[in-house]
Amino acid sequence: MGFPKYKAALIFSPLILLILYLSVGKYDLSFDSLEQLLFSDSIDRTIFLNVRLPRAVEAMIFGASMGISGASLQTTLRNPLVSPYFLGISSGAAFGAALSMAIFGYKNFFLIQPSAILFALVAVSLTLGLSKFRGQFSPVSLVLSGMIISALFAGFLSLIQILVEPEKTQAIVAWMIGRLYTITWTDVKVSAPLAILGIIGLLYFRWRIFVLSMGDEEARSLGINVERERLMIILLASIATASVVSVTGIIGWVCLIAPHITRFLVGSDPKILLPASISVGASFMLLADMISRTIWSFEIPVGVITTIIGAPLFLYLMRRAQNEWR
Amino acid sequence: MSGVEAVDLCFSYGEMMIVRQASFELEAGEILSILGANGCGKTTLLKCLNMLLKPEGRVLVDNLDLRTLNGRDLAMLMGYVPQIHSPDFPYRVVDVAVSGRTPRLGFSIPSEKDYDLARKALYRVGVGHLADKFYTQLSGGELKLVLIARALVQEPKVLLLDEPTSHLDFKNRVLVLKILREISKEGISVIMSEHDPNLASLFSDKVLLMMNKGEIVGYGHTKEVLTPENIMKVYGLNIEVFEREGARYIFPKLRG
Repeated sequence: MGFPKYKAALIFSPLILLILYLSVGKYDLSFDSLEQLLFSDSIDRTIFLNVRLPRAVEAMIFGASMGISGASLQTTLRNPLVSPYFLGISSGAAFGAALSMAIFGYKNFFLIQPSAILFALVAVSLTLGLSKFRGQFSPVSLVLSGMIISALFAGFLSLIQILVEPEKTQAIVAWMIGRLYTITWTDVKVSAPLAILGIIGLLYFRWRIFVLSMGDEEARSLGINVERERLMIILLASIATASVVSVTGIIGWVCLIAPHITRFLVGSDPKILLPASISVGASFMLLADMISRTIWSFEIPVGVITTIIGAPLFLYLMRRAQNEWR
Repeated sequence: MSGVEAVDLCFSYGEMMIVRQASFELEAGEILSILGANGCGKTTLLKCLNMLLKPEGRVLVDNLDLRTLNGRDLAMLMGYVPQIHSPDFPYRVVDVAVSGRTPRLGFSIPSEKDYDLARKALYRVGVGHLADKFYTQLSGGELKLVLIARALVQEPKVLLLDEPTSHLDFKNRVLVLKILREISKEGISVIMSEHDPNLASLFSDKVLLMMNKGEIVGYGHTKEVLTPENIMKVYGLNIEVFEREGARYIFPKLRG
């Protein structure tokens, strides 16, 4: 077996998009000399190293986390309609982050993330608890419970906005609109370690995720500790999701659409789907943020772009795959 | 003994007794069919045997008490073929079959060698040509054979099958049972639930006849168990018995 073409494409697409991402923007960077760009004391250097680069890195980490978390959850829970967003994980994380900002202040980065992760886990536990019926997660009730919990935490989040001091409200509202234009290296440092931990953990579980998707009893008869391993997978996906949401706010649809684009490209086998969804997620986010930076005279938050691209694209993929999903 | 031994298995959901003191012994390479009316607890008994449910009593495989084993070790001893499998994602047939290697793989991805084993097992049960198809596109019979191949890839000592012939046409029923017969000749004990008493007696060494609420009506060799009295008791049917070339057939008596 040679090196498959799709593997090469999946490895190179985020890299090519990264180079493109770094070279386009409102401020025309001069790329005449890379040496000058990286080492001279100029505005170009500041913009390149402290504005565009951290933002690109965060976009990739965000997309990668969302891609693999969505793909893992869909496979583990045997439901192509679930994603961190639709299970309430994202709303829980956003609420947790906002709560921490309201209590401890919005500059206390290292308190925001634990709170985001904690409430992401609270939210996903509630969703799973609500939808469990006779020990099984029925596909429809899972999606409905997720919507209910998502709405509940979105409500709590609005409540926080109203209750805190005006100065904080502004910061929370600005953070809530999913966006990347405020990202600095600090945000990357805060979100990357746990996000990467979650991604690597899910990759490590990819074979078990495949077997889990055969159904609880069959997985158990193949030697898998179903409850414990499913919990681990949900935990890893929640950590990866909450880590990035705590610095970017909710950027919708990526977690649903990235796994489906990947499914469309490489099929449903988690051995390939999971690693590929990292690349597709990262590429999708780079592309979406590039559009958000360049399409208008001012910046459009990337969450708006992902939703506008995501919703119709999902509809298209859903129609194409209908035969396979049953 | 080498083989399977079940001793006084009991299982109840709350107050309701589903399996009542089921005991049997099966040598390596023998086939046991569990017969009984719909809803009498056949599936429950099978799930007690591989500890998907937690029964009272003991199950021994080669004198090893299954309660003392963890899930992974148990999966290396027993394969399980469920009655219904609903495919959720379009996986390749060979990927499904290779998942039988899981207890021997742990967290690692199957190697080329594992895939070879899976392909061999698929050929063995007659669906080798389907290896690279999506298993969502298979017929009920083909899917069943793929699941049997997966259980074989597990290299178990005991194979449990929940109604392996259900939803199959006449030809595929016989095909599946023939394959199970061949598998058993390699020293694998086969335990299955079955609805057709004649197919059960043609293809098995022993039968276990169950009645409502898990009561065991008879256990042993076909001749001793599938008597007119027992059939009357379990199914409420009058039967006639025919013998031909050493095999014994029963048919419902429609008149009188």
